[in-house]
Amino acid sequence: MSYVANAILLLVTLGLVLLSGVSLKYIFFGLKPALPLIIVLAILQLLFYGDAFTPHGMASRTYFRWGWIHITNGSVQLVIVSAARFVELLFLTSLLTNTTTLTDITHGIEDMLKPFSRFGVPANELALVGTISLRFVPLLGEQLETIMKAQASRGANVAHKSKLEFVSRARQVAAFIVPLFVDAFRRGEDLILAMQARCYVGGRGRSSFVRLRFQRMDYLAYGVGLVFSVLMLGLQSYFPF
Amino acid sequence: MSDPIVRMEGVHFHYNPDSDFPIHALQGIDLDVQAGDYLVIVGHNGSGKSTLAKNINLLLQPTAGDVWVKGLNTRRRENLLAIRSSVGMVFQVPDNQIVATIVEEDVAFGPENIGVPRDELRLRVDWALEVVDMLEHRHRPPHRLSAGQKQRVAIAGAIAIKPDILILDEATSLLDPKGREEVLRAVRALNEEGMTVIAITHFMHEATEGNRVVVMEEGKIVLEASPRAVFDHVEELRALQLDVPQPKELAYRLNGRDPTFPTDVVMVEELVDEVERRVKGGRRQ
Repeated sequence: MSYVANAILLLVTLGLVLLSGVSLKYIFFGLKPALPLIIVLAILQLLFYGDAFTPHGMASRTYFRWGWIHITNGSVQLVIVSAARFVELLFLTSLLTNTTTLTDITHGIEDMLKPFSRFGVPANELALVGTISLRFVPLLGEQLETIMKAQASRGANVAHKSKLEFVSRARQVAAFIVPLFVDAFRRGEDLILAMQARCYVGGRGRSSFVRLRFQRMDYLAYGVGLVFSVLMLGLQSYFPF
Repeated sequence: MSDPIVRMEGVHFHYNPDSDFPIHALQGIDLDVQAGDYLVIVGHNGSGKSTLAKNINLLLQPTAGDVWVKGLNTRRRENLLAIRSSVGMVFQVPDNQIVATIVEEDVAFGPENIGVPRDELRLRVDWALEVVDMLEHRHRPPHRLSAGQKQRVAIAGAIAIKPDILILDEATSLLDPKGREEVLRAVRALNEEGMTVIAITHFMHEATEGNRVVVMEEGKIVLEASPRAVFDHVEELRALQLDVPQPKELAYRLNGRDPTFPTDVVMVEELVDEVERRVKGGRRQ
């Protein structure tokens, strides 16, 4: 909950971005959709969090008071720190998705869950669900396009709707979503048959084609990450502000 | 003759047998398929040909009668994996049978299921992709491929479990002519290597691919012959509203004008050769 700690975290995430070789522009671009949320959150915190929070080891100071709106040094710090955390989080997630394919992430999750499979966590099945969802995304996208074209060719007004016409837009979305779902279920049924025909009888007894092997870099990353987290936790009290 | 690899005896199949409107999809099928056969099953939509295929690899169980695959009765549940790993199946819609997001991982799906060890998985995947000529695309995501390429990936996925029998359930019906030819070429190559092929189609001209043709109508086998002989039943096929391949049709009509013109031609090349021979021969006289 301090400026110093968040400054360090921000520097570290930026350092990671530079290390990864992903262009900073891409990473900043990832912030754009979350910007309205961050702004709304900041305004709410600034207006309503006044007395709820006092910075560690400091006297509470009130900058502005009008009716039930209190702006204190606490709420200002809260706004800055939570915005910074948001940015750090988004940087890290877009860094992950910019450097790792979704397929690799699925395999990674499967490998990470594997030790828990003896406690009944269906790691293999979960990974398969993930893979199939990823597989279906482009298919459903294509299908949606087909449906929209079909509706447009029968006179549906697809393109020209203002953002404020909520009701008619919602009605229109339903006209796309329902056939899309029907299609998805049909594809699902087909896929079940195809999987059965290819001897799928559940996750047990399957071998796996993809092997993820820990390399020196992975151990290094895990190690550095762990040391860094412990340091940040341990030094918490040294960053009063 | 040796024991058939697939044997069907008096097979009946009902969809929704307990409902008020059961559908009697197979009405007493007797069929033997010999190892190495390339059997083409032709029929209209709803003639029961897909149901027949699903009864072979235990996606469905006959409501009456028996099916044996390599001597194993499909009635016994413990034969399930043994039967399914002997029968590879390729379906109509290429997109709905590809499971993984990378071509080679999809091909590995079948053998993974039967627990093939990793070193052999690699070999099998490469072999299967090689057979269908898709090795260079092995790292691509399936949705970036053409329909014909996707269907070849599906075939690779089916043969990666090293089945003895490959069933194509309308596998070419959604492809353009180029894709269809690619797929048929791959299947032909597999059959020449000794794979038993059962191809289900409503394209009559694909009947010429095989060495045996079975025509189905309303859950029954109405005609069974060699591809050459089956088209001699021109009138019967017309009655079933099945197309006769164009070369055959033309030969049949030419035979009507000139009874010495042979009607046993099936391929375009044969017809062209025959006509050429006659025209040139005529000139010489």
